[in-house]
Formats: sequence, C-alpha cells, structure tokens
Amino acid sequence: MKRSRWKEAEFEEIEYEPTSIKELLVEMKNISELMIDLAYSAILFNSEEIAEEVKYLEVQMDKLNYHMRIMAMLAARDKEDAEQLAGILQMSEAATSISDAAGDIVKLLSVKLQSPLLPRLLSESAEMIKKMTITAESAAVGHRIPDLHVASETGVRIVALRRGKRWLYTPETVTLQPGDMVIGVGPEEGLEQLDGFFRGEEEVLE
Amino acid sequence: MSEREAQEMLRDMKERAAFMVDLAYSSVIYDNRDLAEEVYELEEFIDDLNDDFQRLAIRDVKTDELEVNEALAMIQLALAAEMIADGAREIADVQLRDVELHPIVRESIMESNEVFVRASIDPSSVLAGRSLGDLELASETGMWIIALKRDGRWTYDVDKHTALQPDDVVLARGAREGMDHFKALTVGKDRKI
Repeated sequence: MKRSRWKEAEFEEIEYEPTSIKELLVEMKNISELMIDLAYSAILFNSEEIAEEVKYLEVQMDKLNYHMRIMAMLAARDKEDAEQLAGILQMSEAATSISDAAGDIVKLLSVKLQSPLLPRLLSESAEMIKKMTITAESAAVGHRIPDLHVASETGVRIVALRRGKRWLYTPETVTLQPGDMVIGVGPEEGLEQLDGFFRGEEEVLE
Repeated sequence: MSEREAQEMLRDMKERAAFMVDLAYSSVIYDNRDLAEEVYELEEFIDDLNDDFQRLAIRDVKTDELEVNEALAMIQLALAAEMIADGAREIADVQLRDVELHPIVRESIMESNEVFVRASIDPSSVLAGRSLGDLELASETGMWIIALKRDGRWTYDVDKHTALQPDDVVLARGAREGMDHFKALTVGKDRKI
C-alpha cells in the first residue's frame, strides 16, 4: 500500500534554511486559514482526499514552526530583539494551534457513523461552502481566478481546485479549464451567482 | 437537544471562533487594546457554550437519543472551534503585553491573503444611512464588516439589520483585491457599490 504524502513528510529532518521571518509568518497565517476552510469542507463533503491534504498541511505547519524558531533565535542580538521576537513566536504558535484544530476536525472523518450526522450539522452557516464545476460554456474558461475578480465581485474565496484526480490548493495560479471543480467559501448569494457563471448561465460576473 | 439546536450551537461556536481570529489579527495590526480584550471575553463565552454543548450531548446519550459515537464526534467537532478560539486568544495576547511589537508582525498580516481595513464612514459616503443587509458588501466588494465603533464604543454583533451612520468607524475583513474599492466607498470617492 502506498504511504500517504503526509506520513512520508511527517518526520523529515529539519535543516537550517535561510528564510525571512516575515515570509514564514505570512505563509503560516495563509496555511492555517486555508486548513480551517478545507477541514470543514472535508467533513461537509465527506471527502477523504481533502482530509489527506489537511493532514499534509498540518505536517508542513509544524515544519514551518521549527524554521520560525530557528530564524528567531538567529535574529536575536540583544534583549530588545529577544522581546520582540518572542511576540513573533507567539503569533506562529497561535497559527500552529489553529492548524492543529483543523487536523482534529478531519480526524472525525474516520469515525464511521450510521447516518451522515456531521455533514448535516455543518450544513447551516452564514458563510457557506459550495462545490462548483466549470462547464465548457462558461466565460471563466481560459482565465485565472484573480483576473475574474471573483472575490471582489462575489465575496467568495476559492480555497481549492480539482483537476482530473488532483486537488490544487493554490487555485489562483491556474488557468481555468472545462471540468475543473472548485470549492468556494462565502455568502450564499455570491456562491449562487458564481455557480451560475461557472455553469455558463451568466455571461459576466458583476 | 434537537438536531436543529445542535446545528445552531455548532454554527455559533464555529462563526464566533472565526470572528475572534479576525478580531485578534485586527487588534495587532491596529495596535488596539479594546479589540484584544473583546477576544478574551469571547473566548470565555465560547468556553461556556462548549460546556453546555457537551452536557447536552452527554444527556442525549443517557436518554438514548444519541449513540455514544455520535455524541463523541459532535463533542469533538465543537472542541475544534474552541481550539480555534484559543488560537485567537494567543494572537490577542501579543497585543495585551506591554512589549513593542516587531514591525514584521503587522507587515506579515497585511501581506497575507486575507486583509483587514479600518475606515471611517464619511458623511458623503453612499454607505451612510444604509443597512448591511441592503448593501450586500460581502458579495459586492469581497469585504465583510466585522465590527464597528460608534460614540467611542465598539460593537461586535453586526448583522444585516445594522445600519451604518456617518462617522462610524468600521473594521472589515476580506480579499486584498476588494480593499481599494471598499476604502473608496467609505470616503465617498466611489459612489457605485
């Protein structure tokens, strides 16, 4: 049996790599937020694949946190530095705690219940999660998500994209193709509007 | 508890926890003690809610309305929201210590995917006098108003019925690409939502 990607990455050696503390912190904040959205999506759609990705990201977060500690220690020259860097480490710890919570959420997927209770319990929310598929008729085909101004036109953030058998978690970097499936999080009316656009029922997004 | 009640309690915890994270990051960016203190208060509230939820789930097992494994899964789902709330408190903690924050902390929040904006509603703004439900800012600009300050006091329970007034200070969260449009609306420069 093939070992999952997160298991393989779990105890990889941590080596010093020069990275900027700011970049680490930005990445940790982004990943922790993405993980929460993905974790609730995994439960809502009963998706083992999304859960696997959350586990992988959790392992990545632990690594980033190690790198953060290494960089912070190297950056401290005096008492003042140490105080300020302690605040930065507190921020990275907090992002790690949040990602751990996401990891705990996806563990619930392995609990086999007779009826799909958990998806039902999560099905109501001001911010909804929706899966949408891009059809060949949609004007979105051939464009990237940032170019379509999805967030500013609909309030929806696209957290993941599935092409063929693969999930991509940086959906903003790809050019949309027919058949791509995306997970969007946002207000219900925005999601409906976006869904119509992706199906090709709406010509423009505004 | 009925399934409906469980749904509502979980939603409440999940949404409040997410809101606390937003508030905590905002408190750090804007060096604002009030926002950080609110995070602490909300954390206690979530703790209480979580205790209630656990008690109800266990009671339902006793009366055979829930299976043991169902109750356990529900409790764990609620607990995750509580953990996220703890994470928010850890962030707010940075703001409450009397330590000068490293500029990197603010810069990194502002450079991440989700950004925060604090703006004051100019009397000439099209937003003044209208309710949030009516404005549909989230779907029109990608920015959500999470809190507002009026007469020197912060209000956190904003909903679709909340009407914006001139000189309100609003705190909004959202995608970076919607930030400029939102700001232009608050100052009255842009009149089309």
